[in-house]
Amino acid sequence: MTALDRCLNVYDLRAAAKRRLPKAVFEFVDRGSEDGIAVANNRNAFERIKLRHRALVDVSGRSTATTLFGKPAGLPMAIAPTGSAGLCWHEGELELAKAAAKAKIPFTLATGAMTSMEKIAEQAGPGVGGRLWFQLYVWNRREMSYQLIERANRAGFEALIVTVDTIVPPNREYNTHNGFLMPFQPNVRFTLDIMRHPVWFTNVLMKYFTTIGMPRNENYPDQYRRMKRDDPSTTEMTRQDSLCWDDIRIFREKWPGILMIKGINRPDDAVKAIEYGVDGVIVSNHGGRNMDSVVASIDALPEVAEAVGERLTVILDSGVRRGSDIAKALALGAKAVLTGRATLYGTAVGGEAGAFKAINLIRNELDKTMAYTGCRSVDEVTTDIFFGGRQGNRLRDMVMDTV
Amino acid sequence: MAALDRCLNVYDLRAAAKRRLPKGVFDFVDRATEDHIAVANNRAAFERIKLRHRALVDVSGRSVATTLFGKPAGLPMAIAPTGAAGLCWHEGELELAKAAAKAKIPLTLSTASMTSMEKIAKAAGPDVGGRLWFQLYVWKRRELSHQLVERAHRNGFEALIVTVDSPVSANREYNTHNGFGLPFSPTLRFSLDIMRHPAWATGVLMKYFTSIGFPRHENYPEEFRTSVLSGVGARDALRADSLDWNDIAKFRDICPGTLMLKGVNRPDDAVKALGYGIDGIVVSNHGGRNMDSSAAPLDVLPEIAEAVGDRATVILDSGVRRGSDIVKALALGAKAVLTGRATLYGTAVGGEAGALKAINLLKNEADKTMAYTGCRTVDEISPDIFFGQREGNRLRGRVMDSV
Repeated sequence: MTALDRCLNVYDLRAAAKRRLPKAVFEFVDRGSEDGIAVANNRNAFERIKLRHRALVDVSGRSTATTLFGKPAGLPMAIAPTGSAGLCWHEGELELAKAAAKAKIPFTLATGAMTSMEKIAEQAGPGVGGRLWFQLYVWNRREMSYQLIERANRAGFEALIVTVDTIVPPNREYNTHNGFLMPFQPNVRFTLDIMRHPVWFTNVLMKYFTTIGMPRNENYPDQYRRMKRDDPSTTEMTRQDSLCWDDIRIFREKWPGILMIKGINRPDDAVKAIEYGVDGVIVSNHGGRNMDSVVASIDALPEVAEAVGERLTVILDSGVRRGSDIAKALALGAKAVLTGRATLYGTAVGGEAGAFKAINLIRNELDKTMAYTGCRSVDEVTTDIFFGGRQGNRLRDMVMDTV
Repeated sequence: MAALDRCLNVYDLRAAAKRRLPKGVFDFVDRATEDHIAVANNRAAFERIKLRHRALVDVSGRSVATTLFGKPAGLPMAIAPTGAAGLCWHEGELELAKAAAKAKIPLTLSTASMTSMEKIAKAAGPDVGGRLWFQLYVWKRRELSHQLVERAHRNGFEALIVTVDSPVSANREYNTHNGFGLPFSPTLRFSLDIMRHPAWATGVLMKYFTSIGFPRHENYPEEFRTSVLSGVGARDALRADSLDWNDIAKFRDICPGTLMLKGVNRPDDAVKALGYGIDGIVVSNHGGRNMDSSAAPLDVLPEIAEAVGDRATVILDSGVRRGSDIVKALALGAKAVLTGRATLYGTAVGGEAGALKAINLLKNEADKTMAYTGCRTVDEISPDIFFGQREGNRLRGRVMDSV
């Protein structure tokens, strides 16, 4: 029985990942920012919502399958962009992308990924049934971002996700304490951490060293990769605090595919996005990793969903660890959720097999939740399954009432 | 002083049961599902409700006795169906049934029990003053369940309880981690667990081995009547996810006695049940063992009781550990409660004597709560004893207000 076989839920995968990864890498994946309040509240918000068993509905023909942006998906879920899958497992992004293709859900490649988009497209793209989305951090030198999305389009990525909640670097103090700095610089603390994890050192780091050398941000422009951490020109180039709606207009002109904005927390912003021709908004607080005082995404979701109605696709990100979380997000107006940490834990424990296991655990839990609440298809998942007021679309009040 | 004598409440019995039982067995009884949010919330829901002392009522003639389905009961309580009494004590279901008969409360025998209904009927049935109910999981092959209903009726079971909250099996991950998963295959972990509990191994397991071999599901159809640890085929066929209202119509046709549905959580379902000639509704979330997001039955009870009125008997299940819980459930519209774990802990500590002790502890606590709140009979228990609004029957709003 392998470590992976013993994992029966995402928390088991997390515990196994914690044993396997150097502390610095695990905490980079697992922790939030500042006092860890947002990340904890994301979970509490899900757990506060109570459902009711529905009696005596024949659910034997139920299915978790859905349609996302007009194309089928195995379940209402996609893989969130994360920068560290390649540190969780050798070529972890590729493993994660393959698992997503197998489960028939979209995979989002991050700007900060360590695997090139061309390689991902070749091995887990539309050619093998995969659906690929590309996430973009917009830098001060806009032309670099424009080059990047052209490249993504050529490689067959169907959607572009512009992240709008990271205009300044967050206070992730633990990274500094752990000696985990980007771009990477050698330090004793991190070296000792690595030495305490020889399996990871052998199977992940040495595999890179003996092939490509130190893993790099393969999708960054060449100029950036040559820069040093404290080089003022690096800092200047990667600044994002000038990002504004005019940029969205330009991206809409340049990007022919599906365009989403990630990190929407306000109904007015969501409504504005409609005017700019955006196809989807992702209600997200970046997994609680940016602003520690942020509201839980699931609490912000209902009013955003109500404001946009059917005019664009609403996706929920941040805090999903159980299949029941997906049912709650769908009931509150999302068409799907993103998972970041949940599938990274799986990747860290077993590469593609581990990521696939994480997806299937969540799918299985969603399936059971649907059965218990009497929902035969994801379209039947509504606030009717909630305990608490169910009238109309005043969802937010209702969620707060159940607290 | 026996271990049982030192137990002065259900929590003491739980602690003693924990010492006595192998971890795999204890966890099976005690734990619930996934992250144990529902089971904790079941308790929290009771504890949130606050009562007021009533001054200067002569309660010297008070009684906890009541009438359930037209027949007397020693207190407003019945034993819930559980599958594990036979692992808590040698022939534990029989012990529990005898204790219930002595306390003049109904015993529910589970489909998954390890003692045949014939044996229970003979030792603890109407002839010795016992009241027997039979709980039914519905097989995919419906005729097997229909046969079981007839068998129960022939044996003098006065009521049939159809469980409707289990269309799929629950995620009880701890069972697998404990080596207590089904189908059972011997694991070193479970063997060591048993060896650390020699009294249980001798007093329970060896008594089976030297008489009948491994305990079997004695109420399964002959073809499934295999060891409790092997029947995966039966499990597959059990808990049909195709169960629907048509099945209830059929059960009403073939069941001449009292018919109850267990696991109703919604007023609309409860009202619908009335149309099918149901006599009783058990508001239950399966002790928090199925859907971890489920609302506390105590919280959903008031609106169900209000919707049903006097047209059916409403019973509350899940989370009862103190006599005051019974009083709260009665005030919110239930005619009685079921206890599962509370009486199993007692059975594990002392067989019949332990089960009777658990019942009497609860009875004594209910009696004291009635005295403090000035109730001389169970009919006098109403929301009037609550701290919080008391007008009319708008109970639910009030309960939530008191949170």
